[in-house]
Amino acid sequence: MTSTAPSETPALSAEHVWKVFGQKPERAVQLAEAGESRSDILAETGCTIGVRDVSFAVKPGETFVVMGLSGSGKSTLIRCAARLIDVTKGTVHIDGADFTAMDSQQLREVRRKKLSMVFQHFGLFPHRRVIDNACYGLEIQGVTREKRHERALEVLGVVGLSGFEYHYPQQLSGGMQQRVGLARALCVDPEILFFDEPFSALDPLIRRDMQDELIRLQQSMKRTIVFITHDFAEAIKLGDRIAIMKDGAFDQVGTAAELIRNPATDYVREFTEDIPKAKVLTARDIMVAGGDSSRRVDASTSVLSLVPMLLNDPTPIAVSEDGFVIGQVDKATVATFMDEA
Amino acid sequence: MTAPAGTERPVWTRYLPYLAVLGAAVVIQFLVTTEFPARLDNFFSDPVDSLGAWGQVNRRTGTHPLFTLVFNPLTSAVDGGIGLLETALTWLPWYILPTGIFVLIARRRRFMDASVAAAAMIYPGLMGLWEPTIETLALMSFAVLVSAAIGIPLGIWAAFRPRVEAILRPFLDIMQTVPAFVYFLPLLILFGIGKTNGAIATIIYALPPVVRLTTLGIRSVPKQSVEASDMFGASTSQTLFKVQIPTAMPTILAGISQTIMMALGIVVLAALVSAGGLGGLVLQSLQARRSGRGIAVGLAIVAVAMILDRVGRSMADSDRSKKLSLRARFGLLGGLLIGTVVGRLMEWTTFPSIWAPRSFDWIDTGVDWAIANWSPYTRAINDFIVGGIVVPLRNFFIGTVAWPALMLVVAFLVWRMAGPRLAVFSVLAMGFVGSIGMWDLSIDTVIQVMIGVFIAVLIAVPVGIMAGRNERVEAALGPILDGLQTIPSLVYIIPVVTLFTLGPMPGIIASVLYAMVPGVRITALGIRNVPSESVEASETFGATRPQTMFGVRIPLAAPTIMTGINQVIMMVLAMVVIAGLVGGGALGFETVRALTRNLYGHGFEVGLAIALIAMVLDRSTQALARRFQPPAAT
Repeated sequence: MTSTAPSETPALSAEHVWKVFGQKPERAVQLAEAGESRSDILAETGCTIGVRDVSFAVKPGETFVVMGLSGSGKSTLIRCAARLIDVTKGTVHIDGADFTAMDSQQLREVRRKKLSMVFQHFGLFPHRRVIDNACYGLEIQGVTREKRHERALEVLGVVGLSGFEYHYPQQLSGGMQQRVGLARALCVDPEILFFDEPFSALDPLIRRDMQDELIRLQQSMKRTIVFITHDFAEAIKLGDRIAIMKDGAFDQVGTAAELIRNPATDYVREFTEDIPKAKVLTARDIMVAGGDSSRRVDASTSVLSLVPMLLNDPTPIAVSEDGFVIGQVDKATVATFMDEA
Repeated sequence: MTAPAGTERPVWTRYLPYLAVLGAAVVIQFLVTTEFPARLDNFFSDPVDSLGAWGQVNRRTGTHPLFTLVFNPLTSAVDGGIGLLETALTWLPWYILPTGIFVLIARRRRFMDASVAAAAMIYPGLMGLWEPTIETLALMSFAVLVSAAIGIPLGIWAAFRPRVEAILRPFLDIMQTVPAFVYFLPLLILFGIGKTNGAIATIIYALPPVVRLTTLGIRSVPKQSVEASDMFGASTSQTLFKVQIPTAMPTILAGISQTIMMALGIVVLAALVSAGGLGGLVLQSLQARRSGRGIAVGLAIVAVAMILDRVGRSMADSDRSKKLSLRARFGLLGGLLIGTVVGRLMEWTTFPSIWAPRSFDWIDTGVDWAIANWSPYTRAINDFIVGGIVVPLRNFFIGTVAWPALMLVVAFLVWRMAGPRLAVFSVLAMGFVGSIGMWDLSIDTVIQVMIGVFIAVLIAVPVGIMAGRNERVEAALGPILDGLQTIPSLVYIIPVVTLFTLGPMPGIIASVLYAMVPGVRITALGIRNVPSESVEASETFGATRPQTMFGVRIPLAAPTIMTGINQVIMMVLAMVVIAGLVGGGALGFETVRALTRNLYGHGFEVGLAIALIAMVLDRSTQALARRFQPPAAT
């Protein structure tokens, strides 16, 4: 169900979420709000701050990526959002309902109907066959064996695991194990999918395959996705919007192009430096004012694909969006950009 | 004299504390008499004796609610449970047991296991040991079932509640360190002699591994598997039964099979409290010095353990795909039923004995031959160890050394190994043991333990290192080690007794044989687990093999080897105590005497002494093992 009317309610939102580990969390929050450093707070209260006043909202169907290095608090944040751990302060809303305030009965209900998660180390059940892993969520909901197996077979087919249904997870390669993890998450038809560094344990080629697979699936299913990664390239490839997380807080939130064009901090800039900008930035990002011409490209065309067009014919190209010309690019604009990059 | 700042003090100053303590000990030696003032001699024995007498009366004709409402009903329940099992098993035609066991295991398509277990069930019948084997099978199954029924829930509870685990841990530690022998006597007061006493002692002794490994298993379920289950909205019990318990099952099973092995060890001893079965026969053959018969019976006990182990494994196998088809299962069940009916009608209930334990007579012949030909040498070894080492040591420590001097030296050594807390504990323990009049007996036992440990370590560590370096050596040792570990220790004491005469020697030898096994195994494990990168790093510097061995392999394996030595010590102690049955004297003999003559008070004191010795030895060597551990990463 893709909503045509602009929906005001985000699928998932977090409002001033804090997570403090230790015995005196309230005191630690107070100190942090007073601006004391992490190490001072640790020395005074023995508490570690995992997540520090984080707010965000994810629109239905959007892929929201949280990117951070280890220790940045990204795993803690996703666990707070999924309520695998309770927040210290702040709220999380799912479809407008206060998720953090729900009792365990309501929590289970929401999880059964709306949520799913894919884990870094897969979190598969070694004693169950692939098919029984995939339909675990349905089993929990009390769906009959016949029906859940039917659904599992279907989903396993979608993720490319036909023929492996009756194997045990340990008998499969890492990439295939994560496909089982993905199938298990999709089997219950969730509205929101949490991905906790799902591809970091895989080797680079398999990782790329899995990313492509996820993009392909997302094109048809349009789920709300919260995706955690430590890999900036992965964040750019998958995310509609990206949050850069450091020391438990967001440094910057924006689209890939926004981050690359205007890094808010040096920290963000460091990540963007190694990124081939021509692949990420689009005609819109480098265009200059100008009128129509005989050639038009869409505003979302990457700079990289403009290069051959301009090499063949150096005359300016008009940049259009929804049929309207909004600017133009020529050989000089691209050349200047490439020099800077 | 002005040493530059930062240099270490001269090496010899490190030995100053040792010299000081030795000096102090010598001074004390001249000030105090050697005899320990046993002030509390009757402090425990009198009340316990009267408690014992009170229990004895109450069990039979009692009116006290503790007996009428708790212990007597419990005794009848346990007796009844075991009796019911026995009756059921003997009521069945004999061939139903092996075939039934086969079917039970084969329904999971575990045909190899099924055949082994069925053969294990037939063996005692062939040996003419059918009835005592059924008795032991009933006793062991009951004990193992109850252990699992108590241990698994307890282990799960402890896995979720750190508090519960913290409370349980010291009890489990004590249950595991104290030799099984000690349990019988207090139980004697409450339950009298018989199967109940044997069963309950077995349950107490065999419980810790199930609890521990269940906790471990549940705790080691990958966190993400549990999170995944939570994320699907599973309730706590759904996650427990669908994810945590099945994932932990291999570890829980390992706990149960350890429990079976521990039950196996104690089931022979249970004969001392008249629990009957195969244990009684082992004791008889021990008294009659018939090694062949002893081994035949010992193997029947091993067979019982094997049956329980395989059946347990098949029951816990939750893999649906391996099940036989419904038709096949009904067919097998029908076959068993028909077989039972026919067998009952034809009265084929007793096993048609073909052979008898006599078929092991050749072992007796062999032992006789060995006595005739080897005894000049074995007796010489015996005289050397007993006359040249045990007796002089005993005379020195009991007759010559003043007790406060010994306490000072021991306390100092324990302090160096394990720190001040354990040193204080050891002083208190020694003082206590002395006060209740167990000083001499305890020293005697400790001396035997020390000699056994010394020999066992001397053999086990080099052999273990060899096995760790060379897979072929390890493969060749495998069956020998398995045999030494599974055959009840009392069984192979028999030929040793005949060769070396009664006295401390058989106990020492048997304990060396018994305790070597974990020593070799754990040392080999430690050597094998040395990271190959460390070894390669050493080799690239051009180190010779001995240099790599002593510079890299052994130091890196040292914590593991120390753990092995800790186990060696505990097993030697357990065995030296059991050797009281074959004239090892000391605390072991006193335990046997107390058990067979209802000396409640005395037995209680002996048990306390053994338990305290076990605790001090265990804690101090464990602390030593920890000191070999490189500092943990922060």
